[in-house]
Amino acid sequence: MKRKLMLLVMLAVTLFIALGCSRSNPLVIWVGAEVQEFYQEKMEEYIEYYNANNDEPFPFVVEVRAADTGSAAATFLDDMDAGPDILTVAHDNLGRLIAGAGAIRPVQSQALLSQIESQNPETFLNVITANVGGTEYVFGIPYEAQSLILYYNKKYLTEEDVQTWEGIWSVAQEQGKRSLSITGTDGFNNSFLVLSSVVETGERIVRLYEDGVLENTEFVTDYMVSVLKWGQRFFTSPNGARQASDSGWSADLSTETSLTVIGGAWHFNEARASLGNNLGIAVLPQFTLTEDDVYGDVQAGTVMQSGTFTDTKMFVMNRSSDKLDYLEDILLFLTHKDVQEQSFVRNSTLPAYKNALQEFDAMQADDIRTQLAVAQIAMFEHGIPQPFGREARFNVFYYQRQAPDRILSILRNTDNRFNTDAAIVTEMIAIERIWLGHRD
Amino acid sequence: MDKKNNFIVETLQRFGNAFVRFAQAIGRLFKGFIARFKDGSTGTKVAHLIMGFGNLTHKQYIKGALFFVLQIGFLLIFMLNPEVNDTPIGFKALQNFITLGTEEGDLFGRLADNSMLMLLFGVVTFGLIVVFLAAYTANIKSSYASDLMVREGKKPLTFKEDLAELLDSRFHVLLITPTIIGVLTFTLLPTIFMIFIAFTDFDREVVPGLNLFNWVGFENFAQIFTGSGEIANRFLPVLSWTITWAFFATFSCYIGGILLALLINKRTVRFKKLWRTVFILTIALPQFISLLAMQQILSEHGPVNAMLMNIGILDEPFAFLGQARTATTARISVLTINLWIGVPYTMLMTSGILMNVPKDTYEAAQIDGATKFQAFRNITVPYIIFITTPYLITSFIGNITSFNIIFLLTGGDPNVPGSVAGQTDLLVTWLYSLTIEEGDVNIGSVIAIFTFIITASATLLSYRRSKAYKEEDTFQ
Repeated sequence: MKRKLMLLVMLAVTLFIALGCSRSNPLVIWVGAEVQEFYQEKMEEYIEYYNANNDEPFPFVVEVRAADTGSAAATFLDDMDAGPDILTVAHDNLGRLIAGAGAIRPVQSQALLSQIESQNPETFLNVITANVGGTEYVFGIPYEAQSLILYYNKKYLTEEDVQTWEGIWSVAQEQGKRSLSITGTDGFNNSFLVLSSVVETGERIVRLYEDGVLENTEFVTDYMVSVLKWGQRFFTSPNGARQASDSGWSADLSTETSLTVIGGAWHFNEARASLGNNLGIAVLPQFTLTEDDVYGDVQAGTVMQSGTFTDTKMFVMNRSSDKLDYLEDILLFLTHKDVQEQSFVRNSTLPAYKNALQEFDAMQADDIRTQLAVAQIAMFEHGIPQPFGREARFNVFYYQRQAPDRILSILRNTDNRFNTDAAIVTEMIAIERIWLGHRD
Repeated sequence: MDKKNNFIVETLQRFGNAFVRFAQAIGRLFKGFIARFKDGSTGTKVAHLIMGFGNLTHKQYIKGALFFVLQIGFLLIFMLNPEVNDTPIGFKALQNFITLGTEEGDLFGRLADNSMLMLLFGVVTFGLIVVFLAAYTANIKSSYASDLMVREGKKPLTFKEDLAELLDSRFHVLLITPTIIGVLTFTLLPTIFMIFIAFTDFDREVVPGLNLFNWVGFENFAQIFTGSGEIANRFLPVLSWTITWAFFATFSCYIGGILLALLINKRTVRFKKLWRTVFILTIALPQFISLLAMQQILSEHGPVNAMLMNIGILDEPFAFLGQARTATTARISVLTINLWIGVPYTMLMTSGILMNVPKDTYEAAQIDGATKFQAFRNITVPYIIFITTPYLITSFIGNITSFNIIFLLTGGDPNVPGSVAGQTDLLVTWLYSLTIEEGDVNIGSVIAIFTFIITASATLLSYRRSKAYKEEDTFQ
């Protein structure tokens, strides 16, 4: 009796393990957590449409899974075989994904290529394309966009005040507050200065890997020195800018220590929770270079426009997927402008579609989420997509060799090391060398 | 000076002796091997080629079959080179271990060779060879042992008797085997793999499976002394702070814990159990919750700042942790918070020790006219130190590799512009940043090796020179 019982238990355990180990083979898509439910529904719609128009039913179960899109590329590269069939990444990950043998498959369907070309602005087309072995391939299919905008406290600041940093600064001085908290220390956070442009000419003051060429990089210019000197005044003033406190930038906003924060759409919910109805959204302000700031040939009184990185989230296809034949048709559907607009209405995601502002009815509303979208789209005129996609190393050079820390150090004038123009220029040369890939 | 020289000479002698003993052991192994071959039966001689044959000739069929299957299995793996994730194990793995891959792959064809898997499977194959050699030797020894039993007129052991022996006189072997397998698989194998990584150029620009990486010899180690990058500039500052941190974190908690235990154990203190419970609660709480709570309490908009501003000590919020203006502020803060985490452990242990100090020792001291302070200095303190020396050492080592406190409280900041390592980064948190955040796996491995050398040397030296080791029977 005991033996039989033991045998039964062993059989049950074996069956349990066998069932547990048997792997189903669903078609897996990774998207951001905020849109997971939406895209699962869209895929159900797609399967319905597919089944109605084909003799055979759609052969896979589709699982749309929530993933951290910031780290999705790294997670995928850690174990490509365990990765999804389609994943969402920010476009600046493209270089890593196509490095060496390439982890993702280029788009080959003519229909999808045509849709990508007709729907997306040229700036996006440039950063989703890469040259492999002498041929240009499109690797990513954009469906969402993002840029930095200004969140501000309407209790203290008017729409007019937030036109310029000086306007915000003067209110901060009157109120004994800080003008700005930046949310982090990476290159995204200094981009409002580093990517700024001259209002009169529209000329940007930095060149970063233009046309995907490493050498097309220039950081040490008269304008850049002047802007960093302005930034140094701003960051060292008791009422100017600061890195978010160790309680977090949202605490800085909610305690009214800082009047503004530079952030993206992903900061919206927290900003709203911090300021409630006092939350205002605006395009990043302009600022004016003074006698104290100008360097070289730059004239005092030059008005600058804050800049930003304007990025796109895109779908890419896992080259190891055993369902490649189905993926491009799915992506044709998921990235169509109608789906982008539906996602905007439902999830407040910013469409990557180039004419969204004019063509999407939903963009004509006057609520705060539409303001968020409109401000971001307006910032697209003052920004550039992160130009790191074409080469795996560019992203590394720009972000990971502590160049952002060094820029912040100039702005904060750490240990009074950057009191002179010469010291600033020397540090800028060092930063430019990091961007150019020098290891010293 | 003489003492120092003696110590160096002694250490060198020990190394020399160890080397000689190792060479002697290898010699004995070969001598035994040859002797068994000469002296063994034909079955034993054949067992040198066909595993299990000797046992089969002694009618030990199951044992012989097991050895034979093991040999066939090993040879099959070695020759057929089964693949996992397109990377072979077996003879080809040894070749790949040398090249670390040659196929660079392309967009529409196959992926690149996975250098990381090739390195790993190379190590695994070496491991398999070692295991096979052990089984091979066991096969010969087993056959030869049966030969000797036959010569003595005894019957060779059956499989059943072998198993019975495992449950009786060789029970320790049965018990220790799973542990050894676990240590080999989950500790030794990753450690060897990590050591090898330190000799490659597996850095942030490599994605295994997409690009290859290569052997670079001692280049990564040389960077510490000759380079001008992160590792050269920051290794010594991080190392010195790590040692300083470990010293102060260990002794502050140790002394604090002892004082607290003495205080609670004082006759005049009431509600002893309550006080002990209160402090034990900090152990019961998950450490990261305590640390995150502490971080919030000390943050710029936290209650400590609010209180100090309300009573007029501060005009504006003061950053105690990662954003502190000076490294010293952040370092003192983390050491102080560490007291909250570490003191209860020492307090608890010392309480137990204090309750068990032999009473007759105190009585004898009292009869001899010792004052209370003398009794404390000459009995209590040596007794506590004697018992807690091993704890003190493990605590010191634990603090060298203490990750949570720094990672959760300051994240290694205040930062040093141009460096990955911040001013409160320890070797382990720096290692984390270098590998997980920056992707410089090779440099991370170098740091890990140095950390291991430091912790292992500190442990061995301090423990072997401690009274707890030299006079381990004293207090029994």
